[in-house]
Amino acid sequence: MIGTPAGVTSEGVARPGVGSRRIRSGVGPGPFRLALLGLAAIIPLVIVAVLLFLLIYAWPAIRFNGLGFLFTKTWDLGNLYADPVPKHGVLAPIGAQYGSLVFVAGTLLSSGIALLIAVPVSLGISIFLAEGVGAKFRTPFAIVVEMLAVVPSVVYGLWGVTVLVPLVAHVFAPAIAAVLGFIPFFGASGGGGFGLLAASLVLALMVIPIITITVYDALTRVPREAKEAAYALGTTKFEMVSRTMLPMVRPAIIGAVILGLGRALGETMAVLMVSGGALNYLPHSIMSPISTMASFILSQLDSAEQDPSGLAVQSLAEIAIVLFVITVLVNAVARLLVRSGSNARG
Amino acid sequence: MADLSATRGSMLEAAIGKSVPRSVSWRRARSSIGWCLCIIAFLLVAVPLADIIVLVVVRGFSAFTPQLFTQITQGVSGGLLNAITGTLLLSLGALIIGVPVGVGGGIYLAEFGNGRFGSLVRFLADVLTGVPSIVLGYFSYVTMVIWLGWQFSALAAAITLAIIILPYMAKLTELVMRQIPVPMREAAYALGATESMVVIRVLLPVARPGIVTSILLALAISVGETAPLIYTAGWSNYVWNGRFTHEPVGYLTYVIWSFINQPFASAHALAFAAALLVMLTVLVINLGARAVLRKA
Amino acid sequence: MTDRLRAARLTRAQFLRSTGVAAALLVAPNLLPSAHAADSVTILETGSSLLYPLFNLWVAGYQKTSPGLRVTTQSTGSGTGIAQAVAGIAQIGASDAYVATPMMRKNPNLLNIPLAISAQNVVYNLPGLNGGHLKLSGPVLAGIYGGKITSWDDPAIAKLNPGVALPKHGIVPLHRTDGSGDTFIFTQYLSFSTPDWMNSVAYGTTVSWPALQGGIGAIGNPGMVQTTQQNPYSISYIGVSFAKQITAAGLGTAMLQNKDGNFLLPTTETVTAAAEGQIDKTPKDQRISLIFAPGPQAYPIINYEYAVVSSRQSSEAMAKAIRGLLDWAVDPAGGSAASYLDAVHFIPLPEKIRAMSRAQIAQIAS
Repeated sequence: MIGTPAGVTSEGVARPGVGSRRIRSGVGPGPFRLALLGLAAIIPLVIVAVLLFLLIYAWPAIRFNGLGFLFTKTWDLGNLYADPVPKHGVLAPIGAQYGSLVFVAGTLLSSGIALLIAVPVSLGISIFLAEGVGAKFRTPFAIVVEMLAVVPSVVYGLWGVTVLVPLVAHVFAPAIAAVLGFIPFFGASGGGGFGLLAASLVLALMVIPIITITVYDALTRVPREAKEAAYALGTTKFEMVSRTMLPMVRPAIIGAVILGLGRALGETMAVLMVSGGALNYLPHSIMSPISTMASFILSQLDSAEQDPSGLAVQSLAEIAIVLFVITVLVNAVARLLVRSGSNARG
Repeated sequence: MADLSATRGSMLEAAIGKSVPRSVSWRRARSSIGWCLCIIAFLLVAVPLADIIVLVVVRGFSAFTPQLFTQITQGVSGGLLNAITGTLLLSLGALIIGVPVGVGGGIYLAEFGNGRFGSLVRFLADVLTGVPSIVLGYFSYVTMVIWLGWQFSALAAAITLAIIILPYMAKLTELVMRQIPVPMREAAYALGATESMVVIRVLLPVARPGIVTSILLALAISVGETAPLIYTAGWSNYVWNGRFTHEPVGYLTYVIWSFINQPFASAHALAFAAALLVMLTVLVINLGARAVLRKA
Repeated sequence: MTDRLRAARLTRAQFLRSTGVAAALLVAPNLLPSAHAADSVTILETGSSLLYPLFNLWVAGYQKTSPGLRVTTQSTGSGTGIAQAVAGIAQIGASDAYVATPMMRKNPNLLNIPLAISAQNVVYNLPGLNGGHLKLSGPVLAGIYGGKITSWDDPAIAKLNPGVALPKHGIVPLHRTDGSGDTFIFTQYLSFSTPDWMNSVAYGTTVSWPALQGGIGAIGNPGMVQTTQQNPYSISYIGVSFAKQITAAGLGTAMLQNKDGNFLLPTTETVTAAAEGQIDKTPKDQRISLIFAPGPQAYPIINYEYAVVSSRQSSEAMAKAIRGLLDWAVDPAGGSAASYLDAVHFIPLPEKIRAMSRAQIAQIAS
């Protein structure tokens, strides 16, 4: 009932291109549009270049590792101090073995948990900022959130190590174990605070401003008429915000969440500092140390460069390809969700 | 204004409330709970942020001296002139390359991007935000720094940063443009305006605050990035000498990342001073942009 | 409306201007390098985080005597140092380990020049016992890091420490998450003292650590100090440059069993003794491990800190500048004076090793 006026307006907001298209139809794209198209084409070009580069660069590793790369847990550079020997048609250090399962699991788990925390919190903050506080306080509060977006990754990591990790070890872990301990994955133990939970919390903190800023921005641009219409139907202010304004900015919310997810999947420094750097084992609880693909690439590049066969660096590049594929899949799924969601609504 | 609408809301509630009293009190309670949750969400972020800011400000300010802005870095002591100028150089370079491309691409997506190509670009932009910056950094290292022989350089670093901010710019620009009501375009086209006139004279001015916000976010990202610069800009103890290639550049995040790992108090002081500078820089830009927007 | 139009025009002008600058930027690199070819020499030193603090002191000191020279120093890790020295991007690659033989075969122009001697502490956090010095051996540490020894009151530890009231508590072994010279020399100690370890995990700047319940990875030496401090009953390995931080954090330093069976702390005497024993064994190219060296007073975890330099530099001016800097660095009256080395707890090269380093430095040419 309340959704009806919102639906009409969001239709107009979401598809402005249609009108302009109709008008220009039959004329053919002018130079201005072609110029814009050229600029837009740079993004696919960059992606293709990076992907091609990675594929060519990682090719020997892809041949050497085979499909087992995705399903094995062991990452061993082998003996870098003896001559490499031929194996699977590639020169490899003796004992070298590369598996990415640990890093894939760590990345997906930490980003997933981070989003579970970040999305509701971000929506709450943007609603609070857009409608909850008086106009006078809006700007300073917004600046506070924007400041969060500019805290360098390393500083998050530092704060994570000095404040968050001990907090996780001594407060969160016992609390979670006491309340949710009956669920297998939440029976927390050991780890000293470094691990999945700390990484997820830091990631959530880093993703929140990205989602919040975008959603807040969209909320402030909801036409006054839509709000008035909702009030006219007798809604409380919160109902107006949650039932009228939020659905109207749905595209912005989904776009923001995907942006945030991208940031979480690729975040490197802060996660590296609080994740505990798991190697060769999968997380068995929310307190387990993990490694994410991005942080592992950064932390291992130095060691990998000591491999005279080059296979270690190439295998890191292969991790990057896997991350690439995961990002593509995640985005594809998100897109399907958006489409099915809008169909259901329409 | 908030008060007024609240009053009006409760008046309406009161009017409706006579017929369904229980429902109204429940709705009121639910609204209050909703607001409480929003406030809790805000505090959840505000408290850690306050803690981070206190950490950086307290330790950063105690390291603030005039020489920070006048001297170059000597090992892990001295000033940060080289890093301050370097960060400005690299970020501006990234904006110069990345903003036109990102804004142009975003306009295309919003105005003409309803076809298959548009959704492909949109999709790949999302993919690009998920590529870890270290991977882009290493890509640039092998292609530009080594293959093209640019060595550690401002150009390789600025291009890498531009690639990183590109998808954010494009996506945010598109979001902003799409929120401009269709009638504005229709009116302009009805007056016989060409596509370029509609976009540049009608839509861009309306979208300007949003685009400035996205440029700010892009600037924040490029000022705060570390990983992609380690392998492209390298690091330099000296102020940039004007060469776009074959000359490494210093930057503030390197100081944070690297100096915090050193066993000297002077190194830690510089690291926190750099962290504070990064945050202050963006705060100043932020406030400046707001002032500009208010005037316009 | 006029305001909006003016704003629009401004935006377009800005837009065009910035596009123009971008285009100019993309064309520029092809024009610039030749114009600046005659610039003054800038040396880039990158690599080992252990050597980095010392290099900074050196550069500051050396520039007093030769003010024209520009040196930039970076702490990136030994592997990066070697790789960038090979690629010709960095002139000096600092490394905690000599370049491995297969890598040397690929890059025969590389010189491995020792500049100073470093050592490592094995550190623990045992409430009540941090004041004394627990005795530990390579095999016991290998047992701890390999998961065979899991409690502090394990008989193997008790046997080395008679009379010490060891707590009945699980051990939390810490290792470095990032690639590290410290990991390299620590795992070399485990490998040389314990055949089992050599055959399973072996050594490297990153090793495939056995999956341990409760083991923690920390990043960087400061991360190791902090994590050890935050986790009672933990054990870790930390470079000797951080001795002050270890003491400040109230952590215990272990006495390590050397090859002759004696338990020693890293002091100037024990580190020097270990180095002295290896003088005659050091080959001309100076690629030798000093870990677990024989000698009654030889501390077992010490290493040469290397400058990895290509003997083929881009210009004679560059080669000369590098020779000057490195020659000064190993000079007891210059960079190897106590005023420099004491700050990071390194010890100077023995006389004979210094002569060998100087002979290698002389080979740097264009």
